[in-house]
Amino acid sequence: METHFDIQLAKLKTRLFKMCSLVDEQVQFALRAIEEEDMSLAEMVVERDKKVDKYDVKIEKICQKLFALNQPVAMDLRLIMSAMTINTNLERIGDIAVNIAENFIRLRTKPAFLEKTKINQMSMIVKEMLRNAIDSFIQNDPKLAEKVIRSDDELDALNAENHKVLIEIMKEDKESIEPAVTFLVTSRELERIGDHATNIAEDVFFIVEAELIKHKYEKFLFSEVENVEKEIDEEIDEDEKRNGDVQKN
Amino acid sequence: MDIKISVKNLEAFYGKNKVLKNISIDIPRNKVVAIIGPSGCGKSTFLRCLNRMHEVIGGTITGSIQVDGEDLTKTDPVLLRKRLGMVFQKPNPFPTMSIFNNVAAGLRFNGVRNKKILTPIVERSLKQAALWDEVKDNLDDSGVNISGGQQQRLCIARTLAVDPEVILMDEPASALDPISTSKIEELIFELKKNYTIVIVTHNMQQAARVSDSTAFFYMGELIEYDKTTKIFTNPANKQTEDYVTGRFG
Repeated sequence: METHFDIQLAKLKTRLFKMCSLVDEQVQFALRAIEEEDMSLAEMVVERDKKVDKYDVKIEKICQKLFALNQPVAMDLRLIMSAMTINTNLERIGDIAVNIAENFIRLRTKPAFLEKTKINQMSMIVKEMLRNAIDSFIQNDPKLAEKVIRSDDELDALNAENHKVLIEIMKEDKESIEPAVTFLVTSRELERIGDHATNIAEDVFFIVEAELIKHKYEKFLFSEVENVEKEIDEEIDEDEKRNGDVQKN
Repeated sequence: MDIKISVKNLEAFYGKNKVLKNISIDIPRNKVVAIIGPSGCGKSTFLRCLNRMHEVIGGTITGSIQVDGEDLTKTDPVLLRKRLGMVFQKPNPFPTMSIFNNVAAGLRFNGVRNKKILTPIVERSLKQAALWDEVKDNLDDSGVNISGGQQQRLCIARTLAVDPEVILMDEPASALDPISTSKIEELIFELKKNYTIVIVTHNMQQAARVSDSTAFFYMGELIEYDKTTKIFTNPANKQTEDYVTGRFG
């Protein structure tokens, strides 16, 4: 028998899936706007952010209600905890898509030096990472989530490379400084989308395997949280003791 | 792990009807173990086997139960119940006795009549049960003239007065309001410093809050026994997961 709680949980999932596809579209559109120099598409991305924000608030409210009224445990607890963080990550990705679109609206055209950068390559990876992160969540697929986590290093490296290339471009041609700075920011924004997609992938591990993966490689089981708390408490105590000693001296 | 009670291959019967099937479980010293499971799963029977009350109501058992390595089935039931005190679902103070005499009842039953000996024990027990401040001026009042929550703490004080090693609690807070429930739960935290506690509860949140380990029983079988954090965040067994998330039982 489907309980009221199950119905609410299904509602949460549906909203979150819709938020996923909305944010995915926002990123695709923002990047396509640059690629095709399509101002109206960029403006649409900015306009549609209100819808993303609405979903964010709705999902947050459902989660709060589920926590307050149902005291979820086990699988349900993990799903609702993750839904809250996935929602936050998606909302942030939505904001980044808007930043990318707004930056392009200011520039109005795609600079010629863009071919020398890795922006296109980064865009492709970001789109794939985001799609995989979303699919891994929808399909409860930790293998796909792992693929997302692994891709993040590549994105970081391309961002670093972009910095070098764009600084050289600025040195060579003062006229390029403004667009180069804009794309320096865009490169950083793309790298940030990768970070948020990685966070979503880490949450998929948490939902399916009850494994907390934080900062990419630190893995521990959710049920070992007590031990981790103890370790953290000990570290804080040591820090406080050390600070106390420093102050005394 | 320092084991207080060791149960091996316990089977319990009412006539020919087997109500507990091959239960093996170790209960650690100075810890709280919660027994959860749907009605009729055998959790109360298990508790009653531990202090041989099961035999009083015509049941039989096979297998072994050891307390500190001593075979429980060979111990005198009266002496045994002094070592393993029990608190029941419904507060059951002796209605014709005063508060003082209710606490002293167990000691008097064991032959202690001297008020000089009884008075400090009664005071200590009421303090341990966090009831002393509320009743110290009315010790001669009837045990039933206090609130339900106070009556239940009075019963806990009565159990503590005979200096048990283990406290068995069968739904100790199910007939109480939330404030009295929270007092009993706080009391459990205090008591586990000196006693080993086994608590049967229908209230999942209560099991999660007060116990160190949780055992899930279903149809007379022990399905899963693990740390409470594990049971309520990432249980190994599907039936446990379904039960703690409220999907059956």
